[in-house]
Amino acid sequence: MQKEAAIREPLILGHKTYHDVTEDVCKPIEDKAPRMWYILFSIALVIGLYGVGSICYLLGTGIGVWGLNKTIGWAWDITNFVWWVGIGHAGTLISAVLLLFRQKWRMAINRSAEAMTIFAVFMAGTFPLIHMGRLWVGYWVLPLPNHFGSLWVNFNSPLLWDVFAISTYLSVSLVFWYIGLIPDFATIRDRAKKPVAKRMYSILSFGWSGKAKHWNRFELVSLVLAGLATPLVFSVHSIVSFDFATSVIPGWHTTIFPPYFVAGAVFSGFAMVQTLLLVMRKAMKLEAYIHTKHVEYMNIVIMVTGSIVGTAYITELFISWYSGVEYEAYAFLNRATGPYWWAYWSMMTCNVISPQLMWIRKLRRSLLFTFFISIIVNIGMWFERYVIIVTSIHRDYIPAAWSMHYPSHIDIAVYIGTIGLFFTFFLLFARYFPVLALNEVKTILKGSGQSYKESPDYHKHH
Amino acid sequence: MGITKKYWKGVDELKQTPSFIQQRDNEFPYQSSLDSFLGDEKLAEASSGRRDFLKFLGFSVAAATLVACEAPVTKAVPYVIKPEDVTPGLATWYASTYYDGISYASIVVKTREARPIFIKGNADFGFTKGGTNPQIIASVLGLYDGERLNGVRKKGSDENIAVSEADKAIVAALGKAKEVVVLTPTVISPANLKALENLKLKYTVNGQTAVKVVQYDAISYSAIRKANALNFGEGRIPSYDFSKAKAVVSVGADFLSTWLLANEYAVQYGTTRNPDGAWMSKHFQFESIMSITGSNADHRAQIKPSENVGVLNYILKGLGGNGSASPSLSKEATATADAAIKALKKAKGESLVVCGSNGLGEQLLVNAINQQLGSYGVTIDLNNDVKLFQGNDEEVNALFSRIMKGKAPDVLINLGTNPVYNSPQGEALKKGMERIGLVVSTSRYADETSSTSSFIVPDHHLLEAWNDYQPKADHYAIAQPTIRPLGDTYSMLESLLVWGGMAKRGGKDSSVAYDAISAGRMDFAKLVHNSCEAVAVTPFQPTFSARSIKSQVKSGDWEVVLYQKTGIRDGSMSSNPWLQELPDPVSKVTWDNYITMNPRQMESMGFATTFDQEHGLNLASVEVNGTTLTLPVYPQPGQAPNTIGIALGYGRGANGEAIGRAAYQTKEYGGLDLDENGNKKTIGLNAFACLSNQGGQVLYSAPVKMQKVDGTYLIAATQIHHTVMGRESIVRETVLGEYLTKDKEAYNPAHTLQRLNEHGHHEEAPIEEFDLWNAHPVEKVGHRWGMTIDLSSCIGCGSCLVACQAENNVPVVGKDEVRRGREMHWLRLDRYYASDVEVAVGEKKEDGSFSYSEAEIPSDNPSVVHMPLMCHHCNHAPCETVCPVAATTHSNEGLNQMTYNRCIGTRYCANNCPYKVRRFNWFNYPSYKKFTEVNPAQDDLGRMVLNPDVTVRTRGVMEKCSFCVQRIQSVKLDAKKEARTVQDGDLKTACSEACPTQAITVGDWNDNSSNIYKSSKDKRAYQALEEVGVKPNIWYKVKVRNEA
Repeated sequence: MQKEAAIREPLILGHKTYHDVTEDVCKPIEDKAPRMWYILFSIALVIGLYGVGSICYLLGTGIGVWGLNKTIGWAWDITNFVWWVGIGHAGTLISAVLLLFRQKWRMAINRSAEAMTIFAVFMAGTFPLIHMGRLWVGYWVLPLPNHFGSLWVNFNSPLLWDVFAISTYLSVSLVFWYIGLIPDFATIRDRAKKPVAKRMYSILSFGWSGKAKHWNRFELVSLVLAGLATPLVFSVHSIVSFDFATSVIPGWHTTIFPPYFVAGAVFSGFAMVQTLLLVMRKAMKLEAYIHTKHVEYMNIVIMVTGSIVGTAYITELFISWYSGVEYEAYAFLNRATGPYWWAYWSMMTCNVISPQLMWIRKLRRSLLFTFFISIIVNIGMWFERYVIIVTSIHRDYIPAAWSMHYPSHIDIAVYIGTIGLFFTFFLLFARYFPVLALNEVKTILKGSGQSYKESPDYHKHH
Repeated sequence: MGITKKYWKGVDELKQTPSFIQQRDNEFPYQSSLDSFLGDEKLAEASSGRRDFLKFLGFSVAAATLVACEAPVTKAVPYVIKPEDVTPGLATWYASTYYDGISYASIVVKTREARPIFIKGNADFGFTKGGTNPQIIASVLGLYDGERLNGVRKKGSDENIAVSEADKAIVAALGKAKEVVVLTPTVISPANLKALENLKLKYTVNGQTAVKVVQYDAISYSAIRKANALNFGEGRIPSYDFSKAKAVVSVGADFLSTWLLANEYAVQYGTTRNPDGAWMSKHFQFESIMSITGSNADHRAQIKPSENVGVLNYILKGLGGNGSASPSLSKEATATADAAIKALKKAKGESLVVCGSNGLGEQLLVNAINQQLGSYGVTIDLNNDVKLFQGNDEEVNALFSRIMKGKAPDVLINLGTNPVYNSPQGEALKKGMERIGLVVSTSRYADETSSTSSFIVPDHHLLEAWNDYQPKADHYAIAQPTIRPLGDTYSMLESLLVWGGMAKRGGKDSSVAYDAISAGRMDFAKLVHNSCEAVAVTPFQPTFSARSIKSQVKSGDWEVVLYQKTGIRDGSMSSNPWLQELPDPVSKVTWDNYITMNPRQMESMGFATTFDQEHGLNLASVEVNGTTLTLPVYPQPGQAPNTIGIALGYGRGANGEAIGRAAYQTKEYGGLDLDENGNKKTIGLNAFACLSNQGGQVLYSAPVKMQKVDGTYLIAATQIHHTVMGRESIVRETVLGEYLTKDKEAYNPAHTLQRLNEHGHHEEAPIEEFDLWNAHPVEKVGHRWGMTIDLSSCIGCGSCLVACQAENNVPVVGKDEVRRGREMHWLRLDRYYASDVEVAVGEKKEDGSFSYSEAEIPSDNPSVVHMPLMCHHCNHAPCETVCPVAATTHSNEGLNQMTYNRCIGTRYCANNCPYKVRRFNWFNYPSYKKFTEVNPAQDDLGRMVLNPDVTVRTRGVMEKCSFCVQRIQSVKLDAKKEARTVQDGDLKTACSEACPTQAITVGDWNDNSSNIYKSSKDKRAYQALEEVGVKPNIWYKVKVRNEA
């Protein structure tokens, strides 16, 4: 058992026993779903299906149903892609990096953060697929042996790096998440009464029996995967940023992009975790496990990464002037004062100013305020990608080709649709999967549980 | 006696073994018949299990389903007997001549598998010297218009009738008629004139001919003829020679694009714009609208149309002539006029003054000035007069008045004119014509005028007919058919001969017209080969008698100029989608006409001066000569204050006449747009109704009342930002004085970057010494195709754009898609205005006044640069590195290739293109319903115009300029067959070929003796965006203005 300073706030509040933990996590799965779940699920599903319908229309008719044009070849599609990939960053960071750094508070949030990651990466992956003019030959991006002669993919293309980065990230995240789920599934299996559920969870738990040997392997695999996943956290968004950084377009061609994108991704990912968990802890009565301290920790991450992002924005502005490159200077001037000034200033307000409020302890410990800021941050991060992508190409080198971008209703429908699908998946997850890594949480119950910490024996023993 | 050697396939055959014989006789050894299979008795005993049955069932159902899928029906009919001059896969070129009433050119028509698919100017024969215009190039598409009449029509019926029936009725009516009027566009065909003469002889009343021929031009130049009649005794239009004019003054004449024989003048003008030549012409323009010609002027002044006469008077007076006191001119106009006078004096007769007005007073002044200058005999040739535009406004007006009053002739033969549309009398004339006993029309469409005719006997398309022309006194030309008539149409010449009783109908393969034209010619084959020959001219030695009359042009607070756009002109080709989608070279607007107004005035009057795909322009209602039009107001820098411009040629088919699907507005998701009464909506509005007839002249300007009205209107323009923002690396211009006296650094500085030298000091080094990449292996190995574009020569006429569209099967996307910024043109013409904070286009003022917000606003009377832009075929192409599937790659000849088949459509290449020249197939243009009306590739007839050497692209792939790679392959192949290397000049891309001023040079850059290589090494040569380091294969040449 890990020792912890007494003055540290306990991570598990109240008088919880091991059994209580099991009960708290398994109850929502075993009980009938509340009405609210059905309502939310229906709304999310309808929106998601609307998005799917729009995607079908898009694939049937052509990319022209979006608002793109000869000058602006990417807009909402890649904005949404980067936004979702960014959101999908928190999960692996929490489970892998924080695991390596032995941050025990991650245990309360890693399961749902990872689930969020996976669903967000699903949503993200949709966009590079559907933005292709000819999805049906999209498999050509894979370096497969083929009958076209010696036709191979172009390894110079950042889009190809994306293919590898995203697919690797998705598969590692998925495996990592699933490994963690196995003991918890086993717990649910053991408690399940209905034969169908028992059978399902039995399959899902891969015959886990909780032997010491199993736990030993579990720990090892977790550690190995964490080691594997950690570089991915940094590589994925670095590579996504290469899509822009390796181009010749002023406003895209920027060496600062990889760290700036990674920080932005963590920033938005944590914001999304906050948004989801603040609702989930309430709805699923997990206040004892996910409480102010966790929120505060996450807010600190948001504050730090937000500051990095803000610094990057200012650096970009400075460099655009300092470089003396006419096009670069104009690109940034145009961002701030051109036709898309409102997007730029929305981004600046949401991403630079709002996280700075987290310096105030009272605010960063306020759940309501956190919820509000978490949404603001994700709005800001969407605008960040929109600003980078659209305001850079809408006025690049040749003024005669300058143009404006206006989204079509299909642009909006597809975006909203992915949000619907994301929540559909997340609600299904919350209903059928253990949203807390219950077996992991149990490991800190005695070390950081309130009742244990407050008991007079806690200090004597150690 | 020959020796027949025998060869054997093998020893078996030699020895004729039995097994060999058996095999030889049994051609299909393993085939067993169905009968023998079914007759097999074992089959009945064979049992197939349930699984087998299901397998078979499944297979059968799947197979049946697959078979039921409709496979596209492809029609390919092989030649049974190969025509002598048609080899599949090889183009055949025919020399011919183009004349449509407003344009004339010697042309060469390319046919593939007997289909005409491309028209270019004939550079070897004819006085147009290869000069064409967008309409001439695009006219080939009109051949394949499905709404062209296909058979003889009788009034009130949509069914075709037999031509013999119509002929019988017409001849009978002609025989009975007391008066017959033939209304025709100017006839320059000697054979047609002869046929008309014959008609006059044949139909007489009391010994007098009953037939009267009235020539009517959609665009009238009758003032020039009248002025010359007064000054020289004969109503001639002289030949002008701009190539000899060291000083050119144009008062409102758009002589590079729409005025008289503009395509001839553009070629001539182009030869005088070379700053390296012995001299460079100096061009002054006084005008109200910003015309293509005005955009090329060295000095341009903004005047109202009623001030034309003032400017001319001022110049005449300044030259020492007898100019009357002129009304007060603006300071700017006076200064420009003073400079013009100075230049004219200096040119000593090698000068030319022209005026675009159809007012007699103006044309008399022009003659007086040219006489004063001594230009007659130097740049103006009265001897060799132009035969086009013989219409006499007074005569036409008298006829129309009679028709409207009901005192019409008994028979009216309309040889393809459309006065119901293009005369100010319009609808009233139509009512009058309906009362005429018999109206016969030879129009190709049931258009505004001919749809009321008793009979329409449709004429062939120009490319289907034999014709002869005498465009100028010294020139006789032949037009030969390049395809068998597609429909049941009848050569106009044949019709005239038949109605005159001189010939019988010859059917589909009629030789009536041919016989009439070739009669008595022993050397006809040679004539057809050359398409033209010289004719002796009777000398005309007139004396000048000075005359002057008061101008008929009225002035007003606000005045309107009714002008022609280069693509649409008089509207006769308004169903041609290539032309509708051709961006106006100055405004860049497609598919519409509009009111042009000075943006500063618009601002003060509360009109929006910017627009984009979702923000339209405000509407205004204008009243001209009693006609009210409500149109959007377009901010046109350079438009003279208190003047507006409205283009003619729009608003065709106001009553839904069948004049071609592309002549009407379409809906967002396809289909024709209908108004609340279910009528088709016209594109733009008809401004011909605003013309007026003053003192016997049709005038193209008038006082106007204007009023802002509620509402906005979305405009489809291909360019919505109009200045170059002081960027020095895109367009470069200088003035002649600086060019001649200073060295290259002054007007064409090389880009440099700083680097550290071996001593650790900073030094400037030229940009080409910096490279992240290995040099592409195109240097000095094989070919390396390159291009130079001389911005000094380019006049922005738009011919290259249409030629490119025709050559490369570039789809037409319609107004809605152009508005969304998705036009597909591979070649675009960027047009930049100077702003007040730039010394010239692309040169920031050094006084610190430069700011980006100011640089966005064009000057009031800006200098203009036209810049053709297409794929630069960069040797370090940014598009190539980013494609994930290597669909765009570099050829070892320096070409940036696009492999459509491999493209998955990520659009990354287009985003990463600094020149933004890549075009994406947003939809399936050859089949998606949105484009049915506009894209010719969507119907069987329209598809015939497609170039079989160029793939039609599917949706979801990227495309772009290929440097006409099909032509490159073809010249390489020709060279190989002839065992030689490709010679300089072999390769011509569609754009370089179409350019009337030879601004575009293409060739092999690795050939150091080639023109392109030399041109690229010229001191004026630079590469756009050179500092980006993409190493393009296109060089531009600095524009030189002949300013002080």
